[in-house]
Amino acid sequence: MAWLAERRRKSRFEAVVLPHLDAAYALARWLTRNDADAADVVQEAVLRAFRYFDSYREGDPKSWVLRIVRRSCYSWLERNRPAEIVPLDAPGEGNERADAVLAAGGADALLESRSDLRRLDRLIEGLPAPLREVIVLRELQELDYRQIAEVTGVPIGTVMSRLHRARSALRRAWDGKEGEHGV
Amino acid sequence: MECEEARPRLDAYLDGELAAAERASLREHLLDCRECGPEAEALEKLRAGIRAAAPSYRAPMELHARIRAALRRERGVSAPLAWRAPGWLAYAASLLIAVALGSGGTYVLTGERQENVIANEIIDSHLRSLLAGHLTDVASSDKHTVKPWFAGRTELSPPGIDLAAQGFPLLGGRLDLIEGKPVPALVYRAGKHIINVFVLPARAGDFGKTASRGGYTLHHWTAGDLGYWAVSDAAPDEFAKFEKAFRAAAGS
Repeated sequence: MAWLAERRRKSRFEAVVLPHLDAAYALARWLTRNDADAADVVQEAVLRAFRYFDSYREGDPKSWVLRIVRRSCYSWLERNRPAEIVPLDAPGEGNERADAVLAAGGADALLESRSDLRRLDRLIEGLPAPLREVIVLRELQELDYRQIAEVTGVPIGTVMSRLHRARSALRRAWDGKEGEHGV
Repeated sequence: MECEEARPRLDAYLDGELAAAERASLREHLLDCRECGPEAEALEKLRAGIRAAAPSYRAPMELHARIRAALRRERGVSAPLAWRAPGWLAYAASLLIAVALGSGGTYVLTGERQENVIANEIIDSHLRSLLAGHLTDVASSDKHTVKPWFAGRTELSPPGIDLAAQGFPLLGGRLDLIEGKPVPALVYRAGKHIINVFVLPARAGDFGKTASRGGYTLHHWTAGDLGYWAVSDAAPDEFAKFEKAFRAAAGS
């Protein structure tokens, strides 16, 4: 009974994937920085996941889903905003932006006002994608290093150094802008 | 533990990624050290700030509904694929007009005939290769790399043909599932457009014509025991040129 097997496959897929739809959307939203684009990318990624569901083997379902969503996000960015896809370690826009954030160092104090948090949100959005995604995956999705490595397809050592770099950049920029804000 | 050992481990410490022994000795250091202690505190404060500052995005209900609907339409790789584009009927109407206006051998894919099923699957595969960023499994413009890559992966052996000289550079090869079987696809570029050439066994009933759906055109021809199915949104004359160049190079 092919249709029965198909139905079983589909309900297993839904049980594995649909619980992570919010996480999938959040990652896509952070990477595309746009509601409608995030929704399109997630829908496409879920259908792609369904097609390749046979290759899923009992691993961590959230990492598996996010890996596919992330890949779809990057190919979407490649097609629609190629300027944002810059290898982190190559000289170029992404790096300049990271370095600009890093250069905005300042006083070593932190504010907690609402507008300051909004600024931090902007700073996260302004990070180059490879740094932004590790922050999102670690701090917001609460993935551990091994899961982040699985999602992003880089070694754990790279996850650690990116996370460190992202946090340093955010801290310096946050601290630095606080001075400007004091007007 | 000393500062130079402690500093590179601060992130991992706060992320709960250190082994128990290391964690204990780092904690001890943080209590003692006047520089590392506040550093860890500032880092923890930043982490709390990030969690507080970042909006928690959730998939809108509309997206849940869209995905469930799309999954309902999806029938899996073992069954013929259904029309995926919503509003298909709307543009079927516009295509009918296009056909009525006399686009030669083009006809609209609506029937349940076997070649239509395959044609639909192939156009779906083409779209998916573009949308999902999975254009090539083996990215190479060298036909001597692409052709052997398929050996052992599929029973079909597509000809290695590079058409760079004719303006259609080979981008690589990919394995797709058509009717549940692995099928080689050769990927070419025509200006800004991608052309996927799927290679299937030729069989009786192959229609050897042109079909179109939603802006994508399918050219189909057979040569020897192989059936070629080329899909693209390239301009018609460009596409015709490609088919001619490909057939000439394949000696078909």
